[in-house]
Amino acid sequence: MIARTLLLVWIAGWIVAAFLWAPLVPVLGETTRVLYFHIPAAWVTVLALAWSMIHSLLYLKRRNLEHDHHAAAAAEIGLLFCVVATVSGAMWAKAMWGAYWNWDPRETSIFFLLLIYVAYLALRSAIDQPERRARLAAVYSAMAFVSVPFLIFVVPRIYFSLHPDPLINPRGKVDMDPRIRVVFFALLAGFTMLFFWVQSLRVRVARVEHRLEERRGSAHER
Amino acid sequence: MPASRSSSKRAVWAILRKECRSEWRTRYGLNAALLFAVTSLAAVSFAVGRMSDRPDVLAALLWVVLLFAALASLAHTFVRETEGHTMVLMRLVASPTAIALGKLLFNLLFLISIEAVTVPLFLILMGAPPPRWGPLLAVLGLGSLALGAGSTVVAAIIAQTRGRGALFAGVSFPVLLPILAAAVSGTRAQWTGAPVGAELRLLAAYAVALLAVSLLLYDHLWEDA
Repeated sequence: MIARTLLLVWIAGWIVAAFLWAPLVPVLGETTRVLYFHIPAAWVTVLALAWSMIHSLLYLKRRNLEHDHHAAAAAEIGLLFCVVATVSGAMWAKAMWGAYWNWDPRETSIFFLLLIYVAYLALRSAIDQPERRARLAAVYSAMAFVSVPFLIFVVPRIYFSLHPDPLINPRGKVDMDPRIRVVFFALLAGFTMLFFWVQSLRVRVARVEHRLEERRGSAHER
Repeated sequence: MPASRSSSKRAVWAILRKECRSEWRTRYGLNAALLFAVTSLAAVSFAVGRMSDRPDVLAALLWVVLLFAALASLAHTFVRETEGHTMVLMRLVASPTAIALGKLLFNLLFLISIEAVTVPLFLILMGAPPPRWGPLLAVLGLGSLALGAGSTVVAAIIAQTRGRGALFAGVSFPVLLPILAAAVSGTRAQWTGAPVGAELRLLAAYAVALLAVSLLLYDHLWEDA
């Protein structure tokens, strides 16, 4: 309870700081502020996909449905954050580049990640038995994750990109105005903790759902 | 253990032969795929006409036609086993990896035969500029390998679900899209005279990664199928 309140106060406080205290980057102007929401959301997307993949592999190894709850919950939350990252990126692109979407390599990557999550959830919805669903979804998740290093690390480096890391971060290391850096990393930490909090809530719901399913199943047998 | 390895090689070969034979008996997969390829090619060609000066559009259209034709039929190697209830028997005689490799080789042969018909037809109908055959064949080969590796695993997963046919295209797309993107950009580079090395490396790395992961995962796919 206290941790949750602290987390919400932390995020709210830094959002206020993002608008009132942190300076603007010259070329980006007011659109600098999207940085504090867009990048953490993109980071949580990747974190959630990795979380989902790790629990999928753990499920294949240990055959404990608890891991499947974690994998599915992370995929759902990752999808949510992926939408936030995509939409905030598109809005920023409209303001800076004049179009919501132009298949910049980064836009391509995030769109593919979005499809991976949607396909994972679509696959889950097509299988009834919990064990088989967990097993097949885990295999799919592990295989879909193969594309993540390519999308995130390889493709943006091979193809020309308009994405503004060079403006905010010219020498490839964290080299921003100190105030921007403080707000950015505070919100990055806040979003990460938000992910784990929502994740634990979703896993608890999944446990209850599973128990209900089992009870209904045993009632049918009787 | 050389003895077990040779027997497993023999199992892969036997499954490949069995796939080819049962495909050849009905030919409905190949016929459907070729029909699909030629029809979509005709539709595309009719809609946009000859495009000799637009290698970017040509590259995209070529791969869209190939992918459509392939996706219509690649799933059926596994669906056939589930529907005919022959999967259990198959697992008795061969290891999951052998089954997977046999089916993958068959899917590769299948993709190559579709490409052998579709690509020349495409070049003629769309009035494409003469390709550089070396880079084009390399992109086609590596692209098919990656497409085959990705779609074979997804087909094995999908064969065990409800609503098989409809789900296959949707679920395999996220895995296949990065391949498609690299293949399209390689094909375009081949026409514009740009180097294709980066795309070839990307396709090869992706194909190897997919193959490695799928061979590790196949054991988990058939437990209660």
